Amino acid sequence: MTVSTHAWMGYHRADGTVGVRNDLLVLSVAGLTGPCARRVAAALPLAKCVTMPFGGGLLGADRQLHIESLIGFGANPNVGAVLLIGSDIPKVQLIAQRIKATGKPVAAVCLDDCDHDVLTLTHRALRASADLLLEISRNRRQPAPVSALSVGLECGRSDPSSGLVANPLIGAVTDRLIGLGATAMFGESLEWLGAEHWLAARAASPDVALAVAEAVARRARLAAAQGEDLLGNNPGPTNIAAGLSTIEEKSLGAVAKSGSAPIQGLLRMAERPSKPGLYAMDGSAYSPESVSGFVAAGAQLVLFSTGVGNSYVSLLAPTLKICANPQAAAVLRNQLDFDASAVFTGHSTVHSATEALLHLVLEVASGTLTWGEILNEGDEVVGRLGEAL
Amino acid sequence: MSNPSTPDPAPPRDALLLTPADDVATALRPLHPGQQASVQGLQGTLLIRQGIPFCHKVACRDIAAGVWVRKYGEVIGVATTAILAGDHVHVHNIRSVRT
Repeated sequence: MTVSTHAWMGYHRADGTVGVRNDLLVLSVAGLTGPCARRVAAALPLAKCVTMPFGGGLLGADRQLHIESLIGFGANPNVGAVLLIGSDIPKVQLIAQRIKATGKPVAAVCLDDCDHDVLTLTHRALRASADLLLEISRNRRQPAPVSALSVGLECGRSDPSSGLVANPLIGAVTDRLIGLGATAMFGESLEWLGAEHWLAARAASPDVALAVAEAVARRARLAAAQGEDLLGNNPGPTNIAAGLSTIEEKSLGAVAKSGSAPIQGLLRMAERPSKPGLYAMDGSAYSPESVSGFVAAGAQLVLFSTGVGNSYVSLLAPTLKICANPQAAAVLRNQLDFDASAVFTGHSTVHSATEALLHLVLEVASGTLTWGEILNEGDEVVGRLGEAL
Repeated sequence: MSNPSTPDPAPPRDALLLTPADDVATALRPLHPGQQASVQGLQGTLLIRQGIPFCHKVACRDIAAGVWVRKYGEVIGVATTAILAGDHVHVHNIRSVRT
């Protein structure tokens, strides 16, 4: 498929990014105000709601991840405007200022300003949200280049069809997107174990190769410290029965979704890449946390492979579910957005599926809904790294 | 569900070779000794010498003992014994390079 320079239609933001959606994000920055945020979102179905179950007393890297995730959700190009709800004024102001730097409308309400009365807080939040919804409804889609896209790459509930077809297919589409100037991120650093040599060989610089290797080693040490031996019984008996012979083969099947482009850098969870290209994100192998890391880092779309089915999707970034298992494809008609099972049964080729999936990616970027959006399955989940004070 | 990939009119392939650099293909259905298997990514057919379960690997060329074995265009292990084209490739004749 020849992809034209301006291949899709999106919402151009003041900071030069382009959204594939145009949402009002109602964002509660502390556990205390979560119920208020949910009340506002229930009253205004056009709004999308993200709440944090915690906030105070976080330390070091935990606090950094918390703050960067909140700012990252607000700054995501798919978000047209943000209503922040919080308890204490300084924290809300800090986050508001960082999101306002993108040029999008931001309003903030605080319990500190409402005599700590949640009904006053709810009233103010509702009114401000309604105003923002009207404001962003004036935005219109305009032609946009593929280079404005940033995609997160994820897999969940994998089976043999994932490593053989769905992940290599996502990798082929990622290569095409990167070739057109886009950005892509893959994470789940635990799954790089066994594929380090391949990832290191693809690193854009020796520093990046070293950082990737250290990220894998650190996660293996983390597991070892809790008594988990990642290499001893890996691949396990189920993997071996399914045809996997070595840890290298298992890992290569997982990281195949990153394609073959050079790796430009290693990102922290929620860290936004500084320039286009492919990035490795050092983060949790738990899909909800991993996907939210990409979304906070600016991903507007997620390409998510599954073997037996996986209903989890991002709330803010439309998530395309891609599956090559014929049984799952037949059963999960309202979950899977792309059926690659014809490749797995030998009736089609990865090459022809690549063109079709690339086409669907640009369609969804331009407004076609995913099943996850239609069924309202989305969420955003920020992990915790350690104890709070 | 979107499935715009045009199915080939040709009969379905029996196995899939992921890259031209690979030594092994993966069986898309159980393969039987004596079968001439069609392999996506390989010219002609491959004579199967041993039973290959669904999703298990079959050697596409002869592999000497001690030599690296490639899939995804990358090394997935090393041959612990001589392997002939058409043989089942699994934990009995390859091992991780890491161990």
